[in-house]
Amino acid sequence: MFKNFNKWCLGAFAAMLTLGTFSVNAQEPEAEASINGGDLFKSKCATCHHPFKDGTGPKLYDVRTAWSEGGAGAEAIYQWVNNWQTAAASDPYAAGVAQKKATAMTKFPDLTKPQIVAILDWVDSQEEKVAGAAGGAAGGAEGVEGEEEGGFSWIWIILGVLFVIVILAVSGVRRQLKAASGEAGSDTLSYGEEFKAWAWGNLRYVLIGSVVIFITLIVVLFQGLYSIGVVEGYQPSQPIDFPHSKHAGMSGIDCKYCHNSVTESRSAGLPTVNVCMNCHKQVAGNDDEQMEKIAKIYAAAGWDADAQQYTGKTTPIVWNKVHVLPDHVYFNHSQHVEVGGVDCKQCHGDMTKQQSTAMVQPVVELNKIEGNVQLTRPTLTMGWCLECHAEKEISTGSIDNAGGDYYQEIHRRLLYGDKKLYSDYLEDGKVTVMELGGWECAKCHY
Amino acid sequence: MKMRIKLVGGLMLATVSVMLLGSCVSDKDSSGLEYMPDMYRSPAIEPYVDYGEVRNQQNEDMKMTQSAMTPPHGTIPYFGTDAEEVALMLSWNIDPFDQFKTTHGLVGYNFSKENTYETEALLMTVNPLKLTAENSEELFANGKKIYTANCAHCHGAKGDGNGPMMETGVYVGVPNYADKTQLSDGQIFYSIYYGKGSMGSHASIVNKKEIWTLVHYIRRFQDSAYGSVTDGVLNSDDTAEPAEEEEVAGVDPEEVN
Repeated sequence: MFKNFNKWCLGAFAAMLTLGTFSVNAQEPEAEASINGGDLFKSKCATCHHPFKDGTGPKLYDVRTAWSEGGAGAEAIYQWVNNWQTAAASDPYAAGVAQKKATAMTKFPDLTKPQIVAILDWVDSQEEKVAGAAGGAAGGAEGVEGEEEGGFSWIWIILGVLFVIVILAVSGVRRQLKAASGEAGSDTLSYGEEFKAWAWGNLRYVLIGSVVIFITLIVVLFQGLYSIGVVEGYQPSQPIDFPHSKHAGMSGIDCKYCHNSVTESRSAGLPTVNVCMNCHKQVAGNDDEQMEKIAKIYAAAGWDADAQQYTGKTTPIVWNKVHVLPDHVYFNHSQHVEVGGVDCKQCHGDMTKQQSTAMVQPVVELNKIEGNVQLTRPTLTMGWCLECHAEKEISTGSIDNAGGDYYQEIHRRLLYGDKKLYSDYLEDGKVTVMELGGWECAKCHY
Repeated sequence: MKMRIKLVGGLMLATVSVMLLGSCVSDKDSSGLEYMPDMYRSPAIEPYVDYGEVRNQQNEDMKMTQSAMTPPHGTIPYFGTDAEEVALMLSWNIDPFDQFKTTHGLVGYNFSKENTYETEALLMTVNPLKLTAENSEELFANGKKIYTANCAHCHGAKGDGNGPMMETGVYVGVPNYADKTQLSDGQIFYSIYYGKGSMGSHASIVNKKEIWTLVHYIRRFQDSAYGSVTDGVLNSDDTAEPAEEEEVAGVDPEEVN
């Protein structure tokens, strides 16, 4: 609070110096009260200037002190804002400033001196943000969950091994006891023979037990076979731990901004690093963890954050592909997103809540999302595709808006062509993707 | 016989335990067992797949070194044979300012020594995408789509510079379009195509036709009647544009000084 007060004093003192006389100074701050320096800063200056960071323009915090210490004339800075060229011509310090940055400053001839004072006062009253420590907590929680699951099966194995050891030990003790009591013939029998004798004695139970074990093994075997090629939950490591929730969620960036070929191409596309730099040129991160991640983008783009310029030395990022389909399937994003009007959420889940990098969302998670077609088969399997094709009504999407006779043709075929399709249509009153050939093998396999 | 049973039993126990243990070891970077592994990493080229390992054979030369690449400057997307569309897609006649190499990381352009943002040619450039009473509705609907996907998170759905990124305070310094009426069509295009200030070049994500559509769309933030159609006649098409040009011409000598 006191520190802030000091800054205000400094600001007022600088204003005093520049305005020249005390009498004017006594009135000016009163008049300034009606001018909102913050709003003016945001509308006029913030495009290039930041209070504490050098951007396109230099940082503005305490800039008046810097100018007066540098030996600039009292009026020079106001002249500079109105027209930097006249200021540079008349003031040697301003001429030096003109050499500092490559980009020339926009001229603001309409800003009055009290307005400039209000802007600079507002800038000086700002306090540098302390690094926020939030974020990444849920990402960590996911990892913990995975570990617990792994530990769980390990516990069962250890328990099983212990159980076997205990049984063997107990039976060993029993045999010792039998041998000690001198029962005839018992010492000549091995474990196997003893078990055999016991099994023949309890044949009915042994048979029932065997059948149960056999069926269990068959079930386990088939479950194992069914899990081959199922990639639910696949989340490979990535060079940068990219938090989707911060970008798509908090910052409200459309999926299509970064994955911009999704409407035009088979592949949704990964953003090139220049797309990252559109925001990250300014957003450098609030804490060490974020800064470390963003530094990787800078290295990839060849951006020198200290000098605020591109060096031209780039080191590209290699992302690991998450949603991989085998080569014998053809999938096209634009057909689904642009033509079919399918929301990204249907297959990729709610990325605005995904705290980390992309992951093949399990179908149970996808089903929780409002508006999604409810499916049962695992994500990215053929059954999953077919289920959706059978359920999903065709969208008139963009093709309908763009005109053309695509749907007229479909309607014509519906009426006069395929009688079965027509009767299906009459039954439920909706046309699904399947009814238009969405289950034809050659739609996806060719 | 006794030995054999022991051997078989031991083998079974070993197999079962190996299978059980094997299922517990999870490699984060492995997507699990596949029926046809060579179909996932086949010799056919698929986007973003690392071909360093195909059919269990390592090939250092094929190893992926870069995921996404910016389209080279001058490439033209195929848009059929409509001459007007093709003309829109051709290389732009105004080159970026030399300093954009270091300030905006532009690579591969012909650079101009003078600040092309303030040249007469740019100030006089008008939108080649002609607005007519017929295409107005479609053009603005299209513009809205492009704007929502690519601009709204910073510039705001209303173009006031208050997108979600401003509201959360992540980003600062996005101007209100309504304050920027003095900009020529060419300057708006230049800013989107090559970048301006903190904003980078968007040439790699929106094509030239889309940018010119955006220029029309942005004009509507400045004048809500811009491009609207009443009784089949386009509003303010003849009145607004020359006025803007005059204004630009008025500003021009000052800027050149």
